[in-house]
Amino acid sequence: MSTLKNIKRWFWVHRWTSLICTLFLLLLCLTGLPLIFEEEIDHLLSKDAPYEVLPKDTPRANLDDMVKVAQQRYPKEALSFLFIDDEEPQVVVNMMPSLKGNPNTRHEMQFDARTGKLLKDEPSEAEQPQTFLGLMLSLHTDMFAGLAGELFLCLMGLLFVFSIISGIVLYGPFMKKLDFGTVRTGRSTRLKWLDLHNLIGIATAAWLLVVGITGVINELSTPLFGLWQITDVKKMLDQYKDRPLPKSQQLSSIQEAYNTAQKAVPGMTITSVIYPGNVFGTPYHFLIYTKGDKALTSRLFTPVLVDANTGKLDAVVNMPVYLKGLEVSRPLHFGDYGGMPLKVIWALFDILAIIVLISGVYLWVVRRKFYADYFLRLSSEENI
Amino acid sequence: MKVQPSRKIWGIPVLLGLITLFGLLSALLGTGVWWVLAWGAMVIPLIVVMVKTRIWKAFQKG
Repeated sequence: MSTLKNIKRWFWVHRWTSLICTLFLLLLCLTGLPLIFEEEIDHLLSKDAPYEVLPKDTPRANLDDMVKVAQQRYPKEALSFLFIDDEEPQVVVNMMPSLKGNPNTRHEMQFDARTGKLLKDEPSEAEQPQTFLGLMLSLHTDMFAGLAGELFLCLMGLLFVFSIISGIVLYGPFMKKLDFGTVRTGRSTRLKWLDLHNLIGIATAAWLLVVGITGVINELSTPLFGLWQITDVKKMLDQYKDRPLPKSQQLSSIQEAYNTAQKAVPGMTITSVIYPGNVFGTPYHFLIYTKGDKALTSRLFTPVLVDANTGKLDAVVNMPVYLKGLEVSRPLHFGDYGGMPLKVIWALFDILAIIVLISGVYLWVVRRKFYADYFLRLSSEENI
Repeated sequence: MKVQPSRKIWGIPVLLGLITLFGLLSALLGTGVWWVLAWGAMVIPLIVVMVKTRIWKAFQKG
């Protein structure tokens, strides 16, 4: 195949993969921008009183007491899970009218992890007004369409990855006679923007690829967890199927389950306890998520199963490789793993991505004659 | 201008790509000084864009 034909073919791939995904990619870039600073914006908008100042070595309060307070407030509801923060001194108790009910009926009670005092009893997501960050997150992950939205944006992300790759391929022939970073400003607006599109695109290509690919992986998290549940998890739970289902009023102590899990995985930090019956848990256990303390291992979670009837340790679960991959791909997409400077760098790359997207559309709009000339020139060179 | 050899076309882009990947991974796998190295690495492609697009000059002029 002649080089020209080859280039034309890549050009076609670049044009169509880009055109189809551009509108959605613009949405992702724009909504992603505030999400980079989610934590900071959250803090800024929060009207909560600051945590009580206590000595650093203050022991943590008993989890059973917090759960008891929560149950007294909502005696007819079921405990869903506990979030045990490792950055702020808080424990968040989550309850639902029914564990099989709509996820947006879940509501939170925030406790001080050291005093055990109830700090806040919030209404459920269904009863709260849409927040700015919540809106951004929905638009960014599923466009209010649940799994279908996630898979659709996953597909758009995949097209984006192909458009980056084809863009890189086209960069070679395009720069044959140009020095790196040439921006021809004198001749026409279109030429100037073509040069800018190529320069900014190639300089940010590695970042675009990494954030694009990890974004695609993130959109697959629902099916990947589902796959795990119907394979490994099901196999593991089958061995307990003769056990009586724990009754919600007679569960063993949550604090003891916490201690048992901590003993089973010393050095790991416990981040959450999923109650038996939760759709993301098991029917028989407290499912306790723990994470490591090194830069990388703090991204990898190890679940521990504690029998919710007896409080005895049942298993320390090894996550499959594809879920470990998913866990590592999260920070690489969010950019939240290297302090504030990295977040700022992430935002700047994001803005450059927006420029590449918009200039790409512009170049398509003014395309025709311009590319006819470009191909004519390439073919005349080939014939020499 | 003459046709450039591939090495000349791809030299800087490949270098920028490797620098970016180094930055992305060094902040993920390490802490402390590795974070600083990551920041230092990842601003390089940003600076290259600013210089080449002359945004830099616009800034200097005010």
